[in-house]
Order: sequence, then C-alpha cells, then structure tokens
Amino acid sequence: MSDPIDATTTLRRVLDIFPGAQRALFRRYHIGGCASCAFQPDETLAGLCARNNLDVAEVIAHLQTSHQQDEELQMAPADLAALRAAGQLRLVDIRSREEFEAAHIDGAVLLSQPVMQDILAHWPRLGLMVICDHRGQQSLDAAAYFAGQGFRNVRCLRGGIDAWSREMDPKISRYRLELST
Amino acid sequence: MNPDDDLQKRIEAALRDPKNLGELEGADAMGAAGSAACGDMIRLWIKFKQESGKKVVDRATFQSFGCETAIAVASLATEMIRGKTPEEVLAMSAEQLAPGLGPLPPVKIHCTQLVESALHSALQSQTAPPQPAPAAAAAPSLLDNFTQPTHPPGKLKVILLDPEKKP
Repeated sequence: MSDPIDATTTLRRVLDIFPGAQRALFRRYHIGGCASCAFQPDETLAGLCARNNLDVAEVIAHLQTSHQQDEELQMAPADLAALRAAGQLRLVDIRSREEFEAAHIDGAVLLSQPVMQDILAHWPRLGLMVICDHRGQQSLDAAAYFAGQGFRNVRCLRGGIDAWSREMDPKISRYRLELST
Repeated sequence: MNPDDDLQKRIEAALRDPKNLGELEGADAMGAAGSAACGDMIRLWIKFKQESGKKVVDRATFQSFGCETAIAVASLATEMIRGKTPEEVLAMSAEQLAPGLGPLPPVKIHCTQLVESALHSALQSQTAPPQPAPAAAAAPSLLDNFTQPTHPPGKLKVILLDPEKKP
C-alpha cells in the first residue's frame, strides 16, 4: 500500500510515492509541464494548491489515481495496428533524429520544434494522437503533456517502437543506444 | 450537458470572431506571459489616450500561441479594458476580464492567469522596471523529460540489433 500524502507533503516526496504524479498534475491542472508552470521539489502540496487556487483534498485524490491514469494513457501495439489500418490517427515519434532514421513506423512524424508548434496551434484537440518512443518510457510524459494542452484523445505506444518491432512488424529494426567516446 | 462541452461551446463562440488579434503599431506598453515551449504564451500591446484628464486604455491587442482558451480570454479582456485606467485594469478579476466564459475548471484557470499576467506585465512596465523572477531550482518539467537530449550531441550511437534489416 502506498504511503499516505497530505497537505504538508513536499512535491519531491509525492513524486517518490507516485511516479506518475507530475503527469497527473499537468493533465488536470496544467502544473509542471514547462518552465513557466513548474513547481519546486521542496514546495508542499498546500503551497502548490494555494498558488494555483486548487483544493488540496481534490488534488490528493487525483494524485492517488495517477497510476491508473498512466495505464489508461497506454495503447498496445496490436490496438495501434488496428487503428492505423483504419487511418484514424496521427503518430508522433519523440525520439532523436538518429533513432528515427534508423527505424520508424510508416507515417510517423518526428517531433521537432516546428512540429510541436504546429501540433499545439493546428492539430484537432479531439483527434486521436499516439506518441511513440524507443521503449515506452518518455512517451508517457509526452502523452500527459499533450493531454494537459487539451488533446482529449492522446495515447502512447506501450513498449515503444521496440515492442512494435517484436509484436507487429519484425521488418523494423530493433536497436540499442550506446554512448560513443 | 457535460460542463466541459458547455465551456467548449462558449470558447468556440468567442473564437468565432476573435477581437484585437495582432501587434499594435505605436503601442505605449507591451507585456508577455507564459512560454512558447509550453504552448501557452500571450503577448499584449496597449495604447493609451487621455480622457477627462485621465490616462485610459484606448486599444489593446494580443498574440497567442496555441491555447484556444487563452485566445478567447484575451479577446474578451482586450475589449473589457477599453476606457479603463491602468489601476482599474489591474484591479479587475478574472471574471470581469472574460465575462461570458463563465467559471473555468481548474485546468483552464491557468489560461486566465496567463492573460492577467500579460496585462500586469504590460501595465507595470509603465510605472516600474520589471523585476526578475526569483531564481529557484524547479523540478524538471514534462517538456524537459521528453524534449531535452539526455546525452551530448553527436555522442549517441544507434546500434542495430539485426543489421540486415535496413530501413
């Protein structure tokens, strides 16, 4: 069972207990998404809520469901394949250009600064958008970020392109990353 | 009706004919708030005039990047502050700045605060130099988590596990 959190708990501690807390905060309250809405690790929940006119009890209840919210953001490779076949989504790849050039899913758009601005300014908020990364770790943050920007139908690919290659399309190369010296 | 749908309809109504979009030539004051990277950024321009011996807002315009609610709030606010003194504008509540949108849910309050901050930034630049934000070590943001490179440029190598499969 998770440790309890209350109004005096610092955000650092909240993130230790609920790893998905930052995503949950941004999705619903637009907090912690970028430098202008950031929080301090030593800030308490009470301080954060006072600064943002939020009810502490409601925020705590929301944070306690953050793991379930993360689960709901994820989409299995097989589900993505079915939706791609129906042409009902936009696929955004958030990896580096080098990784994208080595292997990517057909139709995916590589995220860059201009693409980010285009998404925020022009993409329909109700359309299905799926975020893809290497192994499904950073894409949760990206999906939560876009959800916090009002995209109501955003998901991330569970397991990333690595899972896609294993489960759906073995023609796509699997890879690992290495730091060159 | 779902309250979110209702709000969306009010926002769409405000967006159908947004007022005062764009830069204002010859503006007396300019303010900005938010971050383009965050997708929520507002720039506001204000031109004053003298009326009955008082300096009042003659016209205000804005640019917004990304957020529909912020555009709707800014469109309404730039209309509402016309004819008001800087002090009167600074005293206006969020509801007074954007009448018709109704109470906003927590996720949208940030949008109103953004417009209020840009207004304050513009009006305070009339009387006092802007104060730098206090330096504080913020937690890494979600945006940092998925857009900042984790390794120095050029240092990361992609090693194919099955090199026969070329893309």
